[in-house]
Amino acid sequence: MIDRRKFLTTVALGTASAAFLSACGQSSSSGQTGSADKPVTITYTWWGNDDRAERTRKAIALFETKNPDIKVNGNFSDFAGYWQKRATEAAGGGLPDVMQWDLSYLRDYGQRNQLLDLGTVKINTDGFDKSLLPSGQIKGKTFGIPTSTNAFAVYYDPAKLASLGIAEPDGSWNYKEFNAFLAEVGQKGNGTLFGGTDYTSVWWNFNIWLRQNNIKAFTDEGKLGFSKDDLKKWWNLSADLRGTGAIVGEDKTTQLLPKSPFGSNVTATEVTWDNFMAGYLADSGAKELKLVPVPSDDPDNLGLFLKPSMLMVASAKTKYKDAAARFIDFMVNDPEVGQIFKTSRGVPASKTQRDGTTFEGTDKLVVDYEKSIEKYLKDAPEPPIVGFGTLESTFKRVSSDLNYGKLTIDGAADAWFKEAEDLIKQNA
Amino acid sequence: MTQSPTLSRRASSAAPQPRTSRRRGADARAGYTFLLPWLLGFIALTVGPMISSLYLSFTNYNLFDAPKWIGLDNYTTLLQDERFLQSVGVTLQYVVFGTPLKLAAALAIAMLLNSKRKGQGFYRSAFYAPSLIGASVSIAIVWKAMFGDSGPVDQGLSFFGINLGGWVGNPNMTMGMMILLTVWQFGAPMVIFLAGLKQIPADLYEAASMDGAGPVRKFINITWPMLSPVIFFNLLMETIHAFQIFASAYIISNGEGGPAGSTLFYTLYLYLRGFSDFRMGYASAMAWLLVIAVGIITLIFFKTSKSWVHYSGDSK
Repeated sequence: MIDRRKFLTTVALGTASAAFLSACGQSSSSGQTGSADKPVTITYTWWGNDDRAERTRKAIALFETKNPDIKVNGNFSDFAGYWQKRATEAAGGGLPDVMQWDLSYLRDYGQRNQLLDLGTVKINTDGFDKSLLPSGQIKGKTFGIPTSTNAFAVYYDPAKLASLGIAEPDGSWNYKEFNAFLAEVGQKGNGTLFGGTDYTSVWWNFNIWLRQNNIKAFTDEGKLGFSKDDLKKWWNLSADLRGTGAIVGEDKTTQLLPKSPFGSNVTATEVTWDNFMAGYLADSGAKELKLVPVPSDDPDNLGLFLKPSMLMVASAKTKYKDAAARFIDFMVNDPEVGQIFKTSRGVPASKTQRDGTTFEGTDKLVVDYEKSIEKYLKDAPEPPIVGFGTLESTFKRVSSDLNYGKLTIDGAADAWFKEAEDLIKQNA
Repeated sequence: MTQSPTLSRRASSAAPQPRTSRRRGADARAGYTFLLPWLLGFIALTVGPMISSLYLSFTNYNLFDAPKWIGLDNYTTLLQDERFLQSVGVTLQYVVFGTPLKLAAALAIAMLLNSKRKGQGFYRSAFYAPSLIGASVSIAIVWKAMFGDSGPVDQGLSFFGINLGGWVGNPNMTMGMMILLTVWQFGAPMVIFLAGLKQIPADLYEAASMDGAGPVRKFINITWPMLSPVIFFNLLMETIHAFQIFASAYIISNGEGGPAGSTLFYTLYLYLRGFSDFRMGYASAMAWLLVIAVGIITLIFFKTSKSWVHYSGDSK
């Protein structure tokens, strides 16, 4: 009984100090290699839903057939839990050999010597757009190779709009028109179908809006580039919609987790990354989903950009550098991998992989969407600062409190800024 | 943690009384030898980590870089951290309402099960079962589904015309749900109460009946005072336990303490600060404040216990 009661406190204190105690030795060898008889086993981890797990397993099987001297041990979790696990592993010196990675966390781990400099191993990057590769680099070192690109978009379900008798949008809209559209869906949906989730609750959407207004999210010195008033203005954009049918209530959204309201057929639209298409189709069972650009009050500046939807990284402490490099090369370049994932990771970043993939149906929609916005694309945003992952999740949490009516817009802006300033001070 | 002094005291007082001094030395050696595995584990796995956590609580430590000494900064920041204060509020609410309700349920069921009836063994197991599985992850998931929109609870209440909707997404209802979850796990204190009730001599009740005492009178004048050491034990253990709630809150709120911070329990916030925000120094400071707070509460319990806990053979 005593052990059980003591367990939690001990865990809390213990894990913290386990990190402290484990001063791990760095290995300097170029890595062990295996053979077909005695293959080496590398570990690989990723985040995503069942759909992605299925595709990843196929890719791993293919890799193992082509490389009989390497076995890949795969493991996955959802996005939020993913980073807590990585933190624990990094503290214990036991990060998996190869990992799917997000731009938001590249600095946190790369700057702290947790990731392998992929410039020191053999990975073919000839087929990559030269403007994309720097997103995986920090101070001249390559910590991540982008697998694919994604862009922000408004999803909608044409069948749901048709059943309500609402015309499909063409994507040339400003915020006022977009709000009116959401309100119309909410009104006609009559409590069973909502317009969308609160689009102001997503950091990247805010970042796009800042770009539409020619404001930088972060300065080159790693400080905030926008003011509290900007943030208040942003949250005010959807103020009239909160609590109406235009926006699905937080109480509903919370209960649907880990599924999204759009994937659960509760909303008719969603504003998010275009590579979520495959996941949404699988979750909702909808026949077809379509993509249009995000609203903007300046029709010539949509603030859109291509972001590496995910990167491949290796642990700095991996014992199998060669095997890890070969697996990463395979995952980003092999055309057959492109055929397996289609656009579920985003549009393949490597030309060899992209050209070797046939895009049909909804996958073609995603590729076509990225082509259609080409003329609006601007440079990728400033590299996120250290601790950006926390800022992003705080943004979501504060917005959620706002939707619950627990915070006013002023209070929400204060809360977020306090957290951000505290964090920037911590990491300075 | 708070039990460890009690433990070692118990361990040393449990040693048999010496007959000769030589014998005493041999006994002590044997005793400590048998204790050694436990002592080693205690020092390596509890004392060591606690000391380093105490050190870390005075540093800025992000898991990757070497800890930076910042003195009392973590502690002073904590007191201005609104989320920290919120987590204290949430946890206190849970402890203050959850624990007494759970103990009341445990005592009530124990008294029902104390009478001699057919199939007592079955009922005891049945009532104990929830506390065996209650702390598990799967139950938290089931609980979440039961209290969701159109879940069994929502539908059941709607049948009686109470339309609350799902509890899981409603910040005003989640605490009620968490308290129900803990009350439902009354099995462990119930078994202890049951054992305590069996120790009360039946003739006391007989004598009271002769004098015309009703059930309420018997409870106030016999059951309560005779059971008070057991009540005290249960109250103490369950209070400490309640402060440490984590797993169910983590599951039900998807590890975020939501909705709107209504399940942001102390240990959950500690975990988030440590493992989501990489602020291990801050998290360690929180852990130590919890240790100190639970320690003080335990001390208060012991001090006040003199006035209401009666041990048989006491002159009071």
